[in-house]
Amino acid sequence: MNIFISFVLAIISSMLIDNVVLSRFYGICPFLGVSRKVNSSLGMGVAVVFVIMLATVICWPLYNFILVPAGIAFMDTVAYILVIASIVQLVGLFIKKYSPSLYKSLGIYLPLITTNCAVLGVAQSNTDQGLSFLNSIANAMGTSIGFLLIIVTFSCIRVRLESSNTPKAFKGLPIALICAALMAIALVGLQGLFSGIKL
Amino acid sequence: MKREKGYTKKNFLKGIIAENPLFVSILGTCPALATTKTIEAALGMGILFTIVLICSSVLVSLLRKVISEEIRTPAYIVIIATFVTIVKMLTNAFLPELFSTLGVFISLIVVNCIVLGRAEAYASKNNVFDSFIDALGMGLGYTLAILSMAVFREILGTGAISFGKIFYFIPYFKLQIIPKNYVLSIFQNPAGAFIVFGVILAVIAFFSNRKKEYQAYLARQEKIRKAEEAKKLAAQKAEGGNK
Amino acid sequence: MSKEISLVIAIVVLVALLGIFLITFVAYRKTPLPKGCENLKADDEKCAACSNTQCVFNKKEEEEK
Repeated sequence: MNIFISFVLAIISSMLIDNVVLSRFYGICPFLGVSRKVNSSLGMGVAVVFVIMLATVICWPLYNFILVPAGIAFMDTVAYILVIASIVQLVGLFIKKYSPSLYKSLGIYLPLITTNCAVLGVAQSNTDQGLSFLNSIANAMGTSIGFLLIIVTFSCIRVRLESSNTPKAFKGLPIALICAALMAIALVGLQGLFSGIKL
Repeated sequence: MKREKGYTKKNFLKGIIAENPLFVSILGTCPALATTKTIEAALGMGILFTIVLICSSVLVSLLRKVISEEIRTPAYIVIIATFVTIVKMLTNAFLPELFSTLGVFISLIVVNCIVLGRAEAYASKNNVFDSFIDALGMGLGYTLAILSMAVFREILGTGAISFGKIFYFIPYFKLQIIPKNYVLSIFQNPAGAFIVFGVILAVIAFFSNRKKEYQAYLARQEKIRKAEEAKKLAAQKAEGGNK
Repeated sequence: MSKEISLVIAIVVLVALLGIFLITFVAYRKTPLPKGCENLKADDEKCAACSNTQCVFNKKEEEEK
């Protein structure tokens, strides 16, 4: 039971309290670039969730069962980026072949994910911090769902921003960044949510 | 290929001002927001980034005739990742404080859009010297950009400029500019990073808008002047016809 | 483990990963697009955020030029 509770707590804390975009600053590029319409941000977010989960499931065993025993742990970054790039190509290949409808909604976002820092960042920080496999999965799940949540919320805000009357110099990206700052402040309010819980 | 005069200088300067990777192209925003809490960390990040960018650009440019078009992207990713690993190990060995401050963001240079973008857009088509100059300009432009963000964040957030914590060979000094009771600590938080970046972009947009407006104004004036001249000519012709 | 064995494993791992990546990369490129997806468009008409050359939005803009 304790394991289950700590799993859930790890997911929530990496999803909201230590949010991937707004406090760890991974994946700012798609966060700013693909958030103008709700549909495209949803597509990007779902694709990122999928690739982050797959990458963690593959990278953690690769590091702990191959790279560390062989004494070549320094090669982790090279190995991870190759694994992530292969996953992206492979997933793209599969949905291209077997699911045209899925390709229609996700296909164009897939090549972008190779250069999304969130994927490499999660894989790298999982092994840098020496997390267990279960905690890595929890971290990956929380991070990716947090990314999806924030990018969709942000795109809703940006749709409203387009039609609002902002000063001319702030039009477009600057006012969006100020909104992101306000969202970050809102998430700071959640800090210490679990400080009373002892496991 | 014929070379324009002063091409090298233009090539170098374009990365710093006209095509600044951070403020104009909005690339590499992740480390720019994450590592600008202190000036020292930003400087360290800029230096590491510039080293990786220069090395990968030069190597890509050297191998540009060997790497076939088909497998370009995989080859570039491997080259960049190799240099990042080397830089990471060197940092861990010689500047351990910088290594622990930047953490994952050293590895994340691999997926930085600027490095891959420069390799694909410039180094794969130009010779070694031009690629080197281009990478140097871009790296310097990026370093200056994140330094300017860090200056605002550190001075407004802590009220002081301190140096010597990460680069341990410099004697430690701290210069308090704003009294401690009056600092806005939000600028040390993630929210402050977004605010500083947004405001800097707005200031740049303000000046570029003004420049555009001024040019539009000049163009309008020119048009009016020409129209008046045409009118005068027409009037003269009409007078001549009357006579 | 001795250094030689580590080196051999390092090279084997690197070559294997690189091989997988290359195979998938080429296979992805050669797979024909499914029907109805010939010219997919993102919902964003134009992206002003960055000039990432990997990005679909960016490539589309280049083509327009």
